[in-house]
Amino acid sequence: MESAIVLKPEILGYFKNLPITNTLLVSWITMFILVVLSILATRKVQLVPSGLQNLFEMVLDFGYTTVSDLAGEKKAKVFFPVVMTFFLFILAANWIGLLPGFATITFDKEPLLRSMNSDLNMTLALALTSAFLTHSFAIRYLGFLGYLSKWFSLNPIFLFVGILEIVSELTKIVSLSFRLFGNIFAGEVVLSTVSSIFAFIAPLPFYFLEIIVGFVQAAVFMMLTLVFMVLLSEKHEAH
Amino acid sequence: MEILNEFGINPILLAAQAVNFAILLFILKKFMYKPILKVLEERKKRIAESLKNAEEIEKRLQETNEKIDAMIGKAANEAQKIIDESKKEGVLYLEETKIRAGRMAEELIKKSEEAARAETAKMQQEVMNKVAEIVAVGLQKVTGKILNKKDQREIIERSVKNLS
Repeated sequence: MESAIVLKPEILGYFKNLPITNTLLVSWITMFILVVLSILATRKVQLVPSGLQNLFEMVLDFGYTTVSDLAGEKKAKVFFPVVMTFFLFILAANWIGLLPGFATITFDKEPLLRSMNSDLNMTLALALTSAFLTHSFAIRYLGFLGYLSKWFSLNPIFLFVGILEIVSELTKIVSLSFRLFGNIFAGEVVLSTVSSIFAFIAPLPFYFLEIIVGFVQAAVFMMLTLVFMVLLSEKHEAH
Repeated sequence: MEILNEFGINPILLAAQAVNFAILLFILKKFMYKPILKVLEERKKRIAESLKNAEEIEKRLQETNEKIDAMIGKAANEAQKIIDESKKEGVLYLEETKIRAGRMAEELIKKSEEAARAETAKMQQEVMNKVAEIVAVGLQKVTGKILNKKDQREIIERSVKNLS
């Protein structure tokens, strides 16, 4: 089972220049499932909810309350869709990655499916998107000059602080992507290792653990993105 | 960058995943967030409205209850008044009846007294007539002659005068 400790995602084929990796495939499957679920849930929206609508209402209501508590009612309308999509996408991908068939079904001697976030490409892309949107919102709420004044100042001390801040922005991207990647990848490795020792019952506790980790990581990514957005789009205190 | 190569970082893949996210964001926003947030908002409004309505209904109920209580109180008062009045009236009527009965009885007594007196007078008259007749007959027998009408009257009148 040396295939478990491969950092790179396996490439299944090429579509022109785009390498179709197994993680990208899972990403598409996750998207498809989420879209189908969301359409099913809101096919006929009722004031008295039932079934899927009820479930998603609960999730969205909780998410919206969290966002509006942190960001305020006005910004919540803008932040909420982004933050919620991060949460749902990562959560769905993590849990789908636990299904049987992952890493066991092979295609061209490569595993056909691999948990999306066990590929740094995917998590880094999410982190970069998060950072890009965070900074876009900051510019939108502060104006371009206000945004720049967050980093650059004529005061040498604050100029230095500003440089530190820029570095910390880069660290945010690294920490977001590597945290998610590390957790999920480690989970995959643990699961495959335990499964290779004894495939029955023994992996079960780890599956439960991975369910929790999958949720926690999605929530962490969501909350951090939200907090970064709120912090960055806030007006700088006057010095 | 050795480390990026180690992890198999590929700019095209990054872009693909970013596009994936954008697509997902767009679709979810359209199909999930908007309708569900709308319905949540609507429900919140509806609940607030119903709560307000319930409050109003309760208030109105209380008012109605108060009104009913007031009405019942008033009705009871009126009933009491009517009862009192009729009691008083009854007493008055009784008194009046008593008085009237007394008066009637008095009248009756008076009438019967009068009747009795009349009877007595009549009887006296009758008795006197009889007596006069008897006296006349007796005188006739004694005198042995038939008195003429004029004498008869004279004698009778004299004896009657003597009698009385």
